Amino acid sequence: MTPLPTATGRQGAAALARLVRAHPGAALTALAWTVASAALTVAVPLLLGRLVDAVRAGAGYPTGLVLGTGSAILAGAAGTALALRATERLGARVAADLREQVVARTLALPPAVLENAGRGDAASRVTEDLEDFVTAVPLVAEVLRAGVAIVLSTAGFLTLDWRLALAFAVVFPIYGLSLWVYLPRAARLYAAERRLAAERGRVLLESLHGRSTVHAYGMAALQTRRLAGASRDAVTVGLRAARGYLWFSKSMNAAEAAGLVAVLLTGYWLVRADLVSVGAVTAAALLFHRLFDPLATVLLAFDDVQRAHAALARAVGVLRVPRPAPGVTRRPAGTRSVSIRARNVRHAYGGGAEVLHDVDLSVPAGTSLALVGGSGAGKTTLANLIAGTFAATGGRITLTDADGAVDVAALDPAVLRDWIGVISQETAVFTGSLRDDLTLAAPGSDDEQIFAALRAARADAWVRALPHGLDTPVGPGGHELTAARVQQLALARLALRDPPAVVLDEATAEAGSAGARDLDEAAAALIDGRTAIVVAHRLTQARACDRIAVLAGGRIAETGTHDDLIARGGRYAALWAAWSSRAEVSAGPAAPSVDCPSGTASRTGHPTRPPR
Amino acid sequence: MPALRTGMLRRQVRPLVLACAASSAHQVCEALVPLAIGLAVDHAVDGGPPGAILVAVAGIVALFALLATGGGTTFWQITAVATEEAHDLRVRVAGRLLADPRAGAGRGAGDLATVLVSDAKAVAETARVVVNVVSGCAGLLVTVAVLVRVDVWLGLGIALGVPALALAVDRISPWLQRRIEFRQRTSGLAAALAAELVQGLRPLRGFGGVPEAVRRYRRAGRASRDAALRGATASAVVEGAGLLATGLVLVGTVAAAGAMSRSGRVSVGEFVTVVAMAAFVGDPVRRIATGIRLAAVSRAGAARIAVLLEPADAAPPPPEAGPEIDVRPGEMLGIVTTGAAADDDLAGRLAAAGGDVLVEPHTVHLFGRTLPEALDTGRDPDPATIGRALTAAQADDVDTALLDGGVNLSGGQRQRVALARALAARPSLLVLCDPLTAVDAVTADLVASGLATARRADRGTTVVLSTAPALLARCDRVLFLAGDRPPAVGTHAQLTANAEYAEVVLR
Repeated sequence: MTPLPTATGRQGAAALARLVRAHPGAALTALAWTVASAALTVAVPLLLGRLVDAVRAGAGYPTGLVLGTGSAILAGAAGTALALRATERLGARVAADLREQVVARTLALPPAVLENAGRGDAASRVTEDLEDFVTAVPLVAEVLRAGVAIVLSTAGFLTLDWRLALAFAVVFPIYGLSLWVYLPRAARLYAAERRLAAERGRVLLESLHGRSTVHAYGMAALQTRRLAGASRDAVTVGLRAARGYLWFSKSMNAAEAAGLVAVLLTGYWLVRADLVSVGAVTAAALLFHRLFDPLATVLLAFDDVQRAHAALARAVGVLRVPRPAPGVTRRPAGTRSVSIRARNVRHAYGGGAEVLHDVDLSVPAGTSLALVGGSGAGKTTLANLIAGTFAATGGRITLTDADGAVDVAALDPAVLRDWIGVISQETAVFTGSLRDDLTLAAPGSDDEQIFAALRAARADAWVRALPHGLDTPVGPGGHELTAARVQQLALARLALRDPPAVVLDEATAEAGSAGARDLDEAAAALIDGRTAIVVAHRLTQARACDRIAVLAGGRIAETGTHDDLIARGGRYAALWAAWSSRAEVSAGPAAPSVDCPSGTASRTGHPTRPPR
Repeated sequence: MPALRTGMLRRQVRPLVLACAASSAHQVCEALVPLAIGLAVDHAVDGGPPGAILVAVAGIVALFALLATGGGTTFWQITAVATEEAHDLRVRVAGRLLADPRAGAGRGAGDLATVLVSDAKAVAETARVVVNVVSGCAGLLVTVAVLVRVDVWLGLGIALGVPALALAVDRISPWLQRRIEFRQRTSGLAAALAAELVQGLRPLRGFGGVPEAVRRYRRAGRASRDAALRGATASAVVEGAGLLATGLVLVGTVAAAGAMSRSGRVSVGEFVTVVAMAAFVGDPVRRIATGIRLAAVSRAGAARIAVLLEPADAAPPPPEAGPEIDVRPGEMLGIVTTGAAADDDLAGRLAAAGGDVLVEPHTVHLFGRTLPEALDTGRDPDPATIGRALTAAQADDVDTALLDGGVNLSGGQRQRVALARALAARPSLLVLCDPLTAVDAVTADLVASGLATARRADRGTTVVLSTAPALLARCDRVLFLAGDRPPAVGTHAQLTANAEYAEVVLR
């Protein structure tokens, strides 16, 4: 496993600066209002101090000062609101840009990088990490304002008297010390808390998704116990984290008390020595009192800001994956006849043992080839190599149209699927309307084209019968689709995309008894007129193809038409006999094996899992 | 459903009383900090003797010690109570959902998980509601008392004016709430779309959908950004209104107190006190307002949870009568139907027959993060049984680490593990529904043979609803149910002579 890169602190900051610079107007507005509102906030206690002095002096009613204080208070309130708005708006723009860039780049990551990192890593970059950053934006805006208020207050202390400023500064070493003790501990505890909360969520979702299974096994007590255990672990560490926080908040109170005492003692001495006025000391004490909130904001946000920073570093890390060099951008010629040829193809996952050895095959334009074999025979690997999902470690796979041959591995992702489409073992329904789901494959298709594709997939009848037809919402929370229908949609998408060559990897595997026939017909309709590779799951699928290649141990054991292979009496013939259950063969304990599926053979067909 | 919340408050009376007392003390101390500053300026800084400043310092230290203790105790008690109560409630509701198929029937897992996480937490936050309201009232009372002592009119003015202003500001907060919710919803949609696209990246790439997916994400991201921009305006307006309201109180107080102190009705220290108190008074009012808002949230959460805890009223409908299925003890019976609906119906009827029946659902759900956990269904089979079951189901090549219910396994591996789990449970009657649809032909044959051998060794009865020849060939008898005709019975080999049967099975 090679995780996706993570940006260093400096790179993260640089990326953030670049994002902010893209919005100079919003950035300047935010900065201006933040400074102005902080200045007004600091001015209020200073003006109040002058007012105290004026009252003590006992001259006439200090109308000017009262008016000045009043307008500073009101302008400060308005300024703070405007600063809040401006910083949040800037943050929203920056976060949106970051999201867009990171998601676009993640979706375009080279398959090898993505599979090596694991999809979990990629998914957490575009979900948790981006969300951590986005939700931290208002907080960061608040911290920014509090920080400016603290800096300006320090300046305010200096306008009163430098010795009062020094007295106030006594709080900083105390804060520093407690942060130094608290932060590493908190980081550990919060990380554990997040991990355990995620685990609790996992157990919860898993149990609820599998409710029918829990009921079937009567294992509610066991599963509730598992859930209670996960929840208890999360509670325990949550309370430990709370205890750490408690200690930290008390240390903040201690710092406040120390600062206030220092200001008052210094003030007492300065007033006695006639160095400052009582009003100045009052102003200093009030200024400090007003700083309690901004100081707390900055200190308590420390670990959130740290977390946002870490999230930013991980999100930005995706942008640091080098873009692949552009490939061949030629599209297939309009004649739509493309042949497939593989020569000496070898493959090994991540430097592990070779799982395909010197495979040669050729599929003439418009014909179909079935791949048959047991678990670990290399069917899915070969199918993925031909489909250009990832590149073979050795040999060449070419697609040839009227204008000549192209290397599948050299095709640019932008045109690859114009040549050859693939349906993998994984299926997906994308949230939205049924129309949205289908047009992902071919944006801008009209309903007529969509229904033609659905007809090919034998799905037009049930789609028309849906309450809202193509506008029916599908995906999580939408209209529920059976596994067979989900696969019909996958076939329909490819029909809509209409590439001259297709690879179907167990595209009709997950069908119960009922939908299987429809799926077989749908697959046959898709294959018709195209060059096709079919990873056959049921042997009737293999029989429907023009030719069949039997894979065993990463090599092609035999090839030919169905009748050829039956006549030859080799592996395929034995398998067919077992499958169609002629009594004399099925009586044996196990059918003749095409490939040994159990024991040491590693399952490398699934490219998310590198070989072990 | 008040019972949930009152029950919780009754259970937690002691910590709640402690938290209320501590929180009130904390509020009062917070209110007294500016007062202490005023007193210190008045009696010590403004020409007092050295003894006076020492007294002031001691007083401030004592005040902060009390304040920190009060704040700390409040935080700890509320956190402990809310966390524990949320945990108890979560486990209780989950236990109910898992034990009773009728509870929360027809609702999605994600929806129920949200209730168990967020709503349980919201209900437990009732503790915070109580403490907030009580301590807010205490803080308000002390502030008003101090102000009234300085000047009756000033005190009464603030006591009435501030809550009135706070209520007026609160009137616009539902608007903010809506905007914030909208912002969160659009942001959640964008995040969900990103997660879905990455999850479905392989199929997406298979049909070349990435460019369109990026365009759609961009649209969702922009909608989220626009909602955030509007949300920023809303929160600024609400924040600004609150600040302006407290600002107005402060300005009024400064002007009035300034005039009073000039005329000698209040001292300089009292002037400072009055100004500071006017600045503080918003805090307890906000506490009360927050408490009221939280109460609404926890009430809504309690209502959503109560639905899941209600006793289920309707008994499950009795399974519809169909052709009598005669299952002989110890046999392996194959049933072939012509539709998935017929299969579900049959499985339901067999399950309803009672006794030690296990109907393994077709859709595989695995629990736990390791293979042994996934195989444990609370029947504590010995390791040898588990080993035999894994071998029979050809599942001993499966990794021991399972991600999220086995998403890291292929469909075929998941089906084989599920079958091993069913075999390890050794029920008297095992019903399997299309158990090998994602297993390749070669492996399916080995699994079918392993299944037959294992069940025979356990002397268990097995019913297989399937059209897979590999499985049917191993059955002692096969029942073919097509339409309303009486079932055809025989071995698989005998039935293949039946053209209709062969058509369904030998695809």
